[in-house]
Amino acid sequence: MIPNKGSEASLIKKITSSIMIFILCFFMLFALTGCLGAREINDLEIVIGMGVDKDEDTGNILLTAQVVKKDTAGRTSGDASGGGDGKAFWNVSSTGDSIFDAVRQVTHKTGNRLFISHNQAVIFGNDIAQEGLQEYIDFFLRAHEMRPTALILVAEDRASDILDAKPETEKFPAMNIAKLVDTYGFTSHFYEVNMKDFASCLMSPTTAPLVPLVSIVQEKDCMDIYVSGMVAFKKGKMIGKLNHDEVRGLLWVLGKVKSGVLIVPSPDEQGKAVLEIVRVKSKVTPEIKDGSIVMHIKIKEESSLSEQTTAENLATDKAFEKIQEATAEVIRQEIMAAIDKSRELNADIFGFGEMLHKKYSSKWKTLKDNWDEIYPTIELDIDVETKIIKTDLLKKPVSQSEEEK
Amino acid sequence: MFRYIFKKIGYLSLINKHMLQNTKPGKNNNKPISPDLEKNLEVIKGILHSSDLAVHEFNFGHDRRFKGALIFIDNLADKKEIHKNILQPLMYDALLLPMDMDFTQIDTIWKSLISMTDNVKVTLLGDLLDSLLAGAAILLIDGSKEALAIKAGKRDARSIEEPGTEAVVRGPREGFIENVNVNIALLRRKIKDTDLCVEKYVIGEKSKTDVYIVYLRSVANPKLIEEIRTRLNRIKIEAILESGYIEQFIEDSPYSVFPTVSNSEKPDKVAAKILEGRAAILVDGTPFVLVVPMVFIESFQSVEDYYARPFFASAIRIIRFLSYIISTLGPAIYVALTVFHQELIPTQLLISIAEGRERVPFPAILEAFLMLFAFDLLREAGVRLPKPVGQTVGIVGALVLGEASVQAGLISPIMVIVVSATAIASFAVPAQTDSGTILRYIYLALAGIAGGFGVIMGLLATLMHLASLRSFGTPYLWPVSPLNLSGIKDVFIRMPLWTMSKRPKAISRNSSDSCNQDPGLMPAPFKKGSNDSK
Repeated sequence: MIPNKGSEASLIKKITSSIMIFILCFFMLFALTGCLGAREINDLEIVIGMGVDKDEDTGNILLTAQVVKKDTAGRTSGDASGGGDGKAFWNVSSTGDSIFDAVRQVTHKTGNRLFISHNQAVIFGNDIAQEGLQEYIDFFLRAHEMRPTALILVAEDRASDILDAKPETEKFPAMNIAKLVDTYGFTSHFYEVNMKDFASCLMSPTTAPLVPLVSIVQEKDCMDIYVSGMVAFKKGKMIGKLNHDEVRGLLWVLGKVKSGVLIVPSPDEQGKAVLEIVRVKSKVTPEIKDGSIVMHIKIKEESSLSEQTTAENLATDKAFEKIQEATAEVIRQEIMAAIDKSRELNADIFGFGEMLHKKYSSKWKTLKDNWDEIYPTIELDIDVETKIIKTDLLKKPVSQSEEEK
Repeated sequence: MFRYIFKKIGYLSLINKHMLQNTKPGKNNNKPISPDLEKNLEVIKGILHSSDLAVHEFNFGHDRRFKGALIFIDNLADKKEIHKNILQPLMYDALLLPMDMDFTQIDTIWKSLISMTDNVKVTLLGDLLDSLLAGAAILLIDGSKEALAIKAGKRDARSIEEPGTEAVVRGPREGFIENVNVNIALLRRKIKDTDLCVEKYVIGEKSKTDVYIVYLRSVANPKLIEEIRTRLNRIKIEAILESGYIEQFIEDSPYSVFPTVSNSEKPDKVAAKILEGRAAILVDGTPFVLVVPMVFIESFQSVEDYYARPFFASAIRIIRFLSYIISTLGPAIYVALTVFHQELIPTQLLISIAEGRERVPFPAILEAFLMLFAFDLLREAGVRLPKPVGQTVGIVGALVLGEASVQAGLISPIMVIVVSATAIASFAVPAQTDSGTILRYIYLALAGIAGGFGVIMGLLATLMHLASLRSFGTPYLWPVSPLNLSGIKDVFIRMPLWTMSKRPKAISRNSSDSCNQDPGLMPAPFKKGSNDSK
C-alpha cells in the first residue's frame, strides 16, 4: 500500500518525462503554425466588388474597390437614418502601374489592408477589355485571398460607374450585380462566368471565352444596372458583343439552357403562344466527312404552355403539333443567329475546336494551325425536337367556349 | 526547473506517508472487556468523556441480584425502542423466567429477553466503542466478559424525493437519500433477485462510513468486483464524507479532466447499470451512488432514452452530442473563424459580425474570455446563493451582460449569442459539464493562438487522451473504439429495446452469450392463421 522507495522514484521519473513530453509538444505546436496571422475583423476592409479601369489621363490602372462601411452596413434600412449619406459601401479608388500596386496603394486611403476573400465580382472597363484581359487577370488568379469563383464581368463603359449605381433593394452594388448574374436561369439570355471558367477558356487555343456585359440604363430618378448580353474574347481581347438571343442560341448548343421564354405564333395566327422551357438536352457530334467538318447538333426540348393570347383552345394534339414545330423553328433561328455571329467574329464560342480535338485527336494537329480559316466553313446539321409537356393550371383559355354559344 | 518539480513531488509523497501513519488504528482496539462492570464503565467514560453519553445502570432478575448497564449515545439511539425492547423485558419479563436462570450469560439474555434484531456480541473494547458510536445500545452485565450491542439506532431520514440533478419527464420520480440502508432497499425493490449481492466495507478511521458494493453475481465480471475490493481496501483515510471521496481514490486516471466513475441519484438508473454487469458503490450519508466502470458514451445516455420510444430518444441523443460539441467548441470556432479564417464566413454574416464588432475595443479572444468568465461566474453565484437571491443574479446577469455590455460597446452581439448558446448547450450533458468547462477554455486559448489549426490540434489531443483512458479495465471509448457492433446500437442512436438483447460485451462476464431478453421480441400484430390463433 505504502509505495516503497523504488516505485516512488519510478513514479517521479514517469511524471517528469510526461511533463517533458507535454512541454516539448507545446513548443512544437508553435513551430508548426504555418498561417499564424491573426487579424481582427475590425482591422479588415471587406471588399465585395472590384472594378478595373484605365486612367484616362495617365494610362495607368484605376482600381475601384467597393468596401463595406461597417458602421452602417449591418443596420436595417429603418435606423440607417442616423447619419452619413446612408450608403453602406464606400468605393475607394487608386491608381497604380499594376493591379497589385493599386491594391496596395489603396491602403493610403483606407488605413487598412483590403480583404478580398469576399470579393463577389470583378468588373473590367470597356477600354481594358478591348486592350486585352490577359495582363490584368493574373493578380486575381494568383492572390491567395481571391476566390476563383468570383464573377468576371465587362462594363459597357466604365467599371467604376457600375459600382457607383446604388440599387434600390440591395445595399451593395456588387452584391446586386452578383445576384443579377446568378438569376440568369430564368431567361438563359446570358450565363455566369467566374474567374476559373474564364481562365480555363483563355488557356484553350481555339475556344473564345464569353463574359457577361453590364450596362447602365438611366431611369427617371435612378440608374439601373442590367446585363445586356455577353462579350466575346479572342486571344484575350474583346472582339464583339452577343445579344440575348444569340447567347441563348449558344446555350442551346451547349445544353446549358436552364429555363426561359419562347414566343411562337398561335396556330390560328390570331395571337401568340408563350412557352416556358422546362428541360433541354443537347448533343453535339463532330464528324469529318470528305475533308469537310460537320457538327451534328441534336436538341431535345420540353416546355410548358405558360401563356396564350388567343381564344383558341391550344390544348389539343393538333395545336400542340403546330406549336412544337414553330418552337423548333424559333430555337433553330436562335442557334443560327449565334452561329452567324460567331462566323462574323470568327470566334469559336461553342468550343467546336475542343470537341474535334477529343474525337479526332490525330487530325486535330493539322486543323489547329489554321483553325481561323476552317472555323467559318464548318457545316451544321441541326435537329430540334420539341415537346409540350403541360399547360400549367388552365386546360382551356378563359373564353366563351363554342359549345355554349 | 525539473529539479524543483522533483523536490515538490518528493515532498508531497512524504506528507502522504506521514498522514498514513497518523491514521493508524487506535490503541483501544484489542483490549478485552473486563467482567467488572464498574471498571468497564469507568474506562468507557474515560475514553469518551462526552456529555451526550448516556449510562443507565440497573438491577434486574429475581431479587434484583444482577447488575447491568446500558450505554448509548443520547441522540443516536432511539430511547423509545430501548425502553420498550430492552429495559422493559430485562426488568419485568425476566421475572417470568425460571428463577435459576443465569443472566450473567449474555447469550441467555440475547436469546430469551431482547426483542430486537441486529444484535452483535462484542468482546473487545474497540468493537464495543465502534458499535456504540454507530448508534447501538450496549448492554453490559456485571460478571460477563461479553457485551451485547443492540442496534437501536434511529436515524432522521429525508423522505424520498425527486432528485434535483436528474429530473425526468417520464420515469420514476424517486431518488436516493442520505441513508444508505434506504438506498439499498430502493435497489432491492428494483432487482428482486437472489444474485443481487451487497458487500459492506467500513472506510474512514474517524468517520467509519459504511460503503457497500452492490452487484449481480451472475452478471458482473468477477475480476471487476475483485478490483473494486482491492481499490476500496487501499483507502486509508480519516473520513469519507461523500462518495466523491471514494471516487477520487479509486478512479483510473486522476490527472484526466474526464470522469472515469459515473454517479447517479436515481435508483432506476443504477439498477439498469447493475443489470448490465456494472457494480454500484453506495456510500452512507450521500444520495450520490457511484457506478463503475464508466464509458464515455454513458454521459450522453439518459434514463429517459429507454422509457421514450426509440425515434424521439435517438433524436434527443443526437442533440446531446451536438450540444456537447457546441458547448466545448462554440467560442473556439467563433474566435478561429473571425480572427483567422474570415474567408470561411458567408459574406452577409461577415458584414453583420463586422458591424457588431465595430465599436468593440478588445480582440475577439479577450472578448470571448470575458464573456465565458462572466457566464461561469453567474452560474457559480446562482448555484451557491439562496433561491430568491439567485433570481436576482439571473436578472442582473441577463441585463448587464446581455443588454448593457452590448449597448456600451464592450461586447459584440454575436459574441453574446455564441456564449449563451454555449452556456445552454453545456447543461444538456450534465455528466460532462465539468470536463466541458475546462476544455472550452483550452480550446478557446488554442483558437486564439493558432486558429482552426490550434482547435484541431486540441481536438486530436483530446481524442488521443480519450482513447487512452480506461475505467476499471473497460476502454473509455467503448463501443466505438474498440468497435463493438452490438454495443454501437446504443451509441449515436438508441435502437429499439427488442434489438438490444445482449449485455455490453466489455462490461459483463460471459460476454458472448450474455442475454438480457429473448431475441426476436419485436412486437408483431396478431396474424390470422398463425399457430397462436388455433
